[in-house]
Amino acid sequence: MTKKQLAMVIDSGACIDCKACVISCKVANKVPGAFSRNWIKEQAPDFSGTARPSMHFQPGACMHCDTPTCVAACPTGATYKDLETGIVEIDKGLCIGCGNCIPACPYGARYRNPETCKADKCDYCPERRAAGLPPACVDTCPTKARVFGDINDPMSEAHQLLKSGKNPIVTVVNEVTDTKPNMYYLDKTAPGDWTEPAVVPASMTAMKQLTPLVKGIVGLSGLGVLAMLGRQLLVGDSHEQEENHHD
Amino acid sequence: MASNKGASLSRRDFFKASGLAVGGGLLGGLAPSVAKAAVPDSKWESHFSACDMCFNKCGLVARVRDGVVTKLDPNPKFLKSRGMLCARGNAGIAQLYDPDRLKHPLIRVGDRGEGKWQRIPWDEALDMAARKMQEIRKKYTPCGHLFSAGADLQTQFVTRFAEVYGSYNITSHESLCLLSGTRGFLDTFGEVPFADVLNSRYVIMAGANRFEALVTPDSMDLMTAMKDGCKLVVLDPRFTKTAALAHEWHPIRPGTDMIFMLALMHIIIGEKLFDPEWIAEKTSGIEKLTEHVRQYTPQAAADQCGIPREDIVRIARELAEAAPRSMVYPGRRTSDYENSTQIRRSFALVNALLGNWDRPGGLLAARQVGLKGVPYDPPWYDENPDDRVDAHKVPGMFEHEGSFVITRDAVLKGEPYPIKGWFVYKTNPLVNAPNRKKSIEMAKAMEFMTVVDITMSDTAWMADLVLPAPSYLERQDPCSGLQGSVACACVVKRDPVVEPLYKTRPVFDILKSIADRLELGEHFDFSMDEYRDQQLRGLPDAMDALDRDGVYYNPSKVYGIYDGRIYKTTSHKIELYNKRYEQMGQDPMPVYTPPSSVPENHFRLVIGRNAYLTHGSTCNNAMLHELVPENELWLHPSAATKQGIDTGDTVLVSSAVGQGEIKVRVTEKIREDTVYMLTGFGPLSKGLSLIQDSGASIADILEDRFDTISGNASMHETIVSVTRKVPA
Amino acid sequence: MKRKAIIFTGALLLTLAAVSMAFAFGGGNGRKGKFLYRKSCRSCHGKTASDLSPATKTQAEWTALFKDVSKLPCNKEWQGLPDKDLNDIFTYLHDYAKDSPTPAKCS
Repeated sequence: MTKKQLAMVIDSGACIDCKACVISCKVANKVPGAFSRNWIKEQAPDFSGTARPSMHFQPGACMHCDTPTCVAACPTGATYKDLETGIVEIDKGLCIGCGNCIPACPYGARYRNPETCKADKCDYCPERRAAGLPPACVDTCPTKARVFGDINDPMSEAHQLLKSGKNPIVTVVNEVTDTKPNMYYLDKTAPGDWTEPAVVPASMTAMKQLTPLVKGIVGLSGLGVLAMLGRQLLVGDSHEQEENHHD
Repeated sequence: MASNKGASLSRRDFFKASGLAVGGGLLGGLAPSVAKAAVPDSKWESHFSACDMCFNKCGLVARVRDGVVTKLDPNPKFLKSRGMLCARGNAGIAQLYDPDRLKHPLIRVGDRGEGKWQRIPWDEALDMAARKMQEIRKKYTPCGHLFSAGADLQTQFVTRFAEVYGSYNITSHESLCLLSGTRGFLDTFGEVPFADVLNSRYVIMAGANRFEALVTPDSMDLMTAMKDGCKLVVLDPRFTKTAALAHEWHPIRPGTDMIFMLALMHIIIGEKLFDPEWIAEKTSGIEKLTEHVRQYTPQAAADQCGIPREDIVRIARELAEAAPRSMVYPGRRTSDYENSTQIRRSFALVNALLGNWDRPGGLLAARQVGLKGVPYDPPWYDENPDDRVDAHKVPGMFEHEGSFVITRDAVLKGEPYPIKGWFVYKTNPLVNAPNRKKSIEMAKAMEFMTVVDITMSDTAWMADLVLPAPSYLERQDPCSGLQGSVACACVVKRDPVVEPLYKTRPVFDILKSIADRLELGEHFDFSMDEYRDQQLRGLPDAMDALDRDGVYYNPSKVYGIYDGRIYKTTSHKIELYNKRYEQMGQDPMPVYTPPSSVPENHFRLVIGRNAYLTHGSTCNNAMLHELVPENELWLHPSAATKQGIDTGDTVLVSSAVGQGEIKVRVTEKIREDTVYMLTGFGPLSKGLSLIQDSGASIADILEDRFDTISGNASMHETIVSVTRKVPA
Repeated sequence: MKRKAIIFTGALLLTLAAVSMAFAFGGGNGRKGKFLYRKSCRSCHGKTASDLSPATKTQAEWTALFKDVSKLPCNKEWQGLPDKDLNDIFTYLHDYAKDSPTPAKCS
């Protein structure tokens, strides 16, 4: 059976840049100050030509990639791809706030929460989902531009939108670092040139290529000694899956 | 493929089903995942309420944990908002927990506007308010006291109090906002329409910005309609987000919308693009209108508004082709020009020619909601003057709304009679009304001024007595009937979702206490529950629905309301030609006069808001402040180059009545002859900690002209100069 | 420029007077009329008799109704009302009628 992949399918052509999703997310996830877990990018209008100037607004957040560079950059294993849900999670107990993951994301989806001193980003509102509610940004959207669900579940609206073939589907991908994002845009979207190549510390990249055992040793000799050990002991299972996935 | 199609339509179903399935199965369109409003998590309590961050009153669900509101969510069953809550609605939590909230009654101890206050106990505050009101009534008659109240569920108690106290002088916020449009459409159709944007195929939007200045359900329905193939044409001197998402944007010269509309009529009538039977049956004056619009050729319009002749002709034909499922969107804030009533009447007349009244995709009549008024019997005061203080200055004043700018002039002159007391609730003329100098003088002319608010607004800042009110999440309100166009006709109510944080009192309690002290207590001898029972006496099922779903829907008729009925106009038809206007010496059909010219190196100032702010009431909200920390002046690059101004420079914007300092944003999103700024910034009050010295106030700069028919303020008539402020 | 300082209702009443010369009512004090209506009419209309407000009828209908007050069902209750009061009530009902420039809001 296909594994779950929670994801968003977004009709960015319906976005009016009202930022309801941004504020809703900040409240739901207690995102402090000027930080934000999500965003709306805008395609600037072109007034130079003869064509009618227009704008396109593009909602976004962590894209819960299939090959997440943030996971590769994390020295403690706090950041991992949960194969139960397809969500890229941060185990806050293991995060040491080193900040490696922040430039490792081509989308700038992560920030370091100054109150908790941990990395933070979109996790599709687990508390809300547990309560039977959609993620905060999805729930509040005035034009219902965001459809959230398991794209591997043929019964889900997200799956049907994605697989119908009725609409072309696009993703926003960095040319240098294709992380196989799981945020899908219907028809077309813009802007597309705002991502940055992932910056993953070389030692981390190398480490991730090694077997779990060797990795453990490298980890021990490197950063986050105890945390790394804890990670290996406590969440070994999901970690295994993660490595499998990378194979 | 079939299931795929279904899936891609489901968002639309959510909207469509709601509007079109009138009667049974109103909620049938909700996606199953969205319909789960209940939260099984025992840590959360969920309470229905209605948002108060703007006037739309969107249904919401407050998530409360241990007596603290942790999240505000949209009520998915609330069709008028299409189950959404905007940025402001979500930021309601920051209003509730705003450290700048008023926490105690305050009495002024320094000079007026100096900001020296002293805490006093509630009883003392109410005694004082009552004593002063009684003094003023004795000295100047009851009409010597003015009452100003904005759009709020408890405003009806201010009106009630004013009437039993004996004053006719009540002003609402509407004369700083929407009265010109109200007048223009009322004097054409006999009532103010609601736009069936959802089912329209062609929408011309002029003087409105629905993707930023959100109006439910119109803003959401416009997007849904566009996804379904509706064409949107925007006329705006500014490249708003609505313009940015439209099929066409025409940067029209400000103040020339009327001749554009007259030219549309010229084409539609000249080329016989209307339904002659419908026009003959439903309207009066087509011959006169035919004659009248002959002079307004597309070329004449093009010369005035700067939109190419071919475009005007094409748009007229396209609009008529889509009729009756096409419209000129009526708009909401219409406080623009001295002839705004006639401008909006020209909008109404195009709609009349399209034959869209009372039909799908057109302009709809108000639907039956079924909420009843609660009658009361105010005493008669023989000593009162004959009329309102602002009476007889304009022919089309609304008795229930008044005119703030005309009232203010009367107060300053002391004519026709003195006004020396002012009670203000939930409106903030010191930040929203043009020509702030006059507003300050007006406050200074008062012997006693009481303001009830939740924060120290600019108007509160000028008061003698400031009384703290609870926010919408802490108080019980009357029921409110809402018109939701094709989406619904519904009733909402508001109950506290948390205990009040401070020793605040709702304006209902305040007025009740003052009424008791003035021996008028019999007129406030009821509880809020009893009041609601009275409102709902014709709707036996409503309270259950309100408790269960947070909203009650009246499955009333949507279309064809006027079948077999007369129009509420003099001729009992849609008035292309308005006989009443003729009798009044007004133009019976809109006559175009060009706007004042803009001298070189000067600009017309236009104002507006975006989706993140509701004028002055939200600028100091901590979450929204993150999005918009201050307002900026939009200036076109060619104008900026001429004056040597760059983005980020501080400039002085000066008009005939005042000035303001503001940072510039150089952008091609505005015409060269026009500048734009957001409302709500540049406060007087020192009680709004986040926006001190932030941006400029429109109130400081705008001239206080008014619509010569309705008395509505004219906020786009001001010509300004913009000069770079050289750093000292 | 001097603005037109006549209100809609005033001019209408003039027109009305011109159209129906024989008609006795018009030009009363609408505000007083509102007070009198609430005091003298609403005790029945809205409680025991049919709901009634100015916006229930057109101006022409109010005019017709007041042509012969003695024929009204509530004539008995009105016996004590002086003509001036009746005229004030008429003015209120007429000026805020369904097809008036500012139809009455409920309250």
